[in-house]
Amino acid sequence: MSFEDSEGTPIAGDLADGSPAAAAGPELTTRPAPPPGASEEEYANHSYKVYPSGRRNVVEFDNTYKSFGRNQILRGLTMGIPEGMVSMILGPSGTGKSVCIKHMVGLLYPDSGDVRVQGESVPDMPDEQLFEMRKKFGLLFQDGALFSSMNLYDNVAFPLRQHTEKSEQEIEEIVMRRLTEVGLGYSRDKLPNELSGGMRKRAGFARALVLEPDILLFDEPDSGLDPVRTALLGELILEIHREMMEDAKAQKKPYLPTFAVVTHDIMSARRVADYINVLWRGRIVEAGPAQDMLNSDNPFIRQFLAGESQGPLTMD
Amino acid sequence: MDDLFAVPRGWLESFGEIVKFCARILGDIASLRVFKYFGEVLRQAGILIVSSTLVIWGLVFIIGLQCGIEGAYFDRSVGVPAYAGVFAAWCDLRELVPLCFGYMMAAKVGTGIVAEIGSMRISDEIDALEVMGISGVTFLCATRLLGSMLVLPFVYLCSIGAGFFASYLAVVQQIGDVSSGGYFLIFWQFQNPPDVLYSLIKAMAMAIVIVLVGCYYGYTATGGPVGVGTATAKSMVFNIVSVHVIGMLGTQLFWGANPRAPIGG
Ligand SMILES: Nc1ncnc2c1ncn2[C@@H]1O[C@H](COP(=O)(O)OP(=O)(O)OP(=O)(O)O)[C@@H](O)[C@H]1O
Ligand SMILES: [Mg+2]
Repeated sequence: MSFEDSEGTPIAGDLADGSPAAAAGPELTTRPAPPPGASEEEYANHSYKVYPSGRRNVVEFDNTYKSFGRNQILRGLTMGIPEGMVSMILGPSGTGKSVCIKHMVGLLYPDSGDVRVQGESVPDMPDEQLFEMRKKFGLLFQDGALFSSMNLYDNVAFPLRQHTEKSEQEIEEIVMRRLTEVGLGYSRDKLPNELSGGMRKRAGFARALVLEPDILLFDEPDSGLDPVRTALLGELILEIHREMMEDAKAQKKPYLPTFAVVTHDIMSARRVADYINVLWRGRIVEAGPAQDMLNSDNPFIRQFLAGESQGPLTMD
Repeated sequence: MDDLFAVPRGWLESFGEIVKFCARILGDIASLRVFKYFGEVLRQAGILIVSSTLVIWGLVFIIGLQCGIEGAYFDRSVGVPAYAGVFAAWCDLRELVPLCFGYMMAAKVGTGIVAEIGSMRISDEIDALEVMGISGVTFLCATRLLGSMLVLPFVYLCSIGAGFFASYLAVVQQIGDVSSGGYFLIFWQFQNPPDVLYSLIKAMAMAIVIVLVGCYYGYTATGGPVGVGTATAKSMVFNIVSVHVIGMLGTQLFWGANPRAPIGG
């Protein structure tokens, strides 16, 4: 387990040099000012606590701002996705979780601030390097984003055909294994528009996995699935993560497989997450290993993780 | 005053955007990057042949018939019915065949590209491609352009054939003022091989613009399915105007100063 002590600085330590969310351990010394145009009350529930994970961060947001016209989405976001863990990004609908994911892979660029992947700044990358960097990612889009002109099999095989020299036979083996894992082995010849939303989701999941990338991002893998499938998907995520961890350690890869899952399903968050980031109003409310977060005394976190209607979060 | 110029300035800006985008696509072809996806190029070329050639030839055939009929009656009315072949030689080859080809390209191929790429854009498929480390511009646009460039010269030369054949049918078989031999004598007198080349250049310029514009409007589509519809309509307007401008410029350039005809000299 050499990775843990290789560069095992806790996140808080990484940020300790002058950035607004600078924190010394979980207890904050200085509170960052609210973003321009917002009042301190709106951020009263943001304790900005970051419980140490003991791992280095593979993806880091550093005081990132992003707005669409007048609509401010990321408002000084400082967040880390620790290496080798299954992280959850939780937050109310419309807070910018999908936007956040798109920043990690350079589909969107921040207005200011930085996004770093494995230490390299994404907004600064020239195109060539960006395309190379993206090969480290597998991404499941919120609505699947399958290629509508290809059947399921070709969709899942596509990344393999483009980026590897594998023979059709090897490809078939991998693709069928992945499709069977998500329960779509019998639908291989169907076109995406012949599938239900949940089936498209699962096919997108298989496609994201197929190259076994270092970093896997799942944008709501469980929305549109029935409760049993949701639970099974959670287990599948854990199992795949475990497998990939073993592979990575056996092959002594420089980076351990890191998963980031956006979800609204608190049950699967409780079951699956090693680490939890809670996002609200464009900033992290609190973040840390699942156990710390579940025991947090922050009223917003408690409300959100228990899914209650009483608390700081209301419909507006 | 600001308001007065806002609209034309908007046009100029979007024209600048289109030019920049097209330069990227052409760059992908010139730098041979597109050959990474040569399979996709061939697939697009195949789709074009299967889905669009017949309808292009059909339209050109119809216009060839019309042109033959009008030409034959006009020549009869001015007392030179033997000269009916001129219309086929000039009107078909220089103007109508390129125009009809351009119309059908814009209507069938251009809008098809906008709809395909546009729907990929709004359903995040292009983003999915990009995240897999594949450039959407190269994989979707440059492959389509190269595919078109591979098959369209052949398609177009056949269209010229279809137009000529239709005019021949109308003039000689239907109206019958001239014999087959007399028709061809005039027909060949009024054209020479470079005319075919010029006509081909005209049509290929149209085709390239149409494909590029289709790619641009599809790639930049926003605003859901309605947005794709709007983009399709805009591309059609742009392309029909371009077809005429290219047609006119081509005629000016190739035949404006010298009709290359055995008249009066
Ligand atoms: N391309 C865009 N252009 C303009 N606004 C956008 C764009 N993408 C996202 N937004 C806005 O950003 C906000 C956050 O969107 P996002 O999709 O990230 O939410 P989310 O946290 O993923 O919500 P959900 O849980 O419902 O998926 C929304 O208010 C949305 O209107
Ligand atoms: Mg979302």
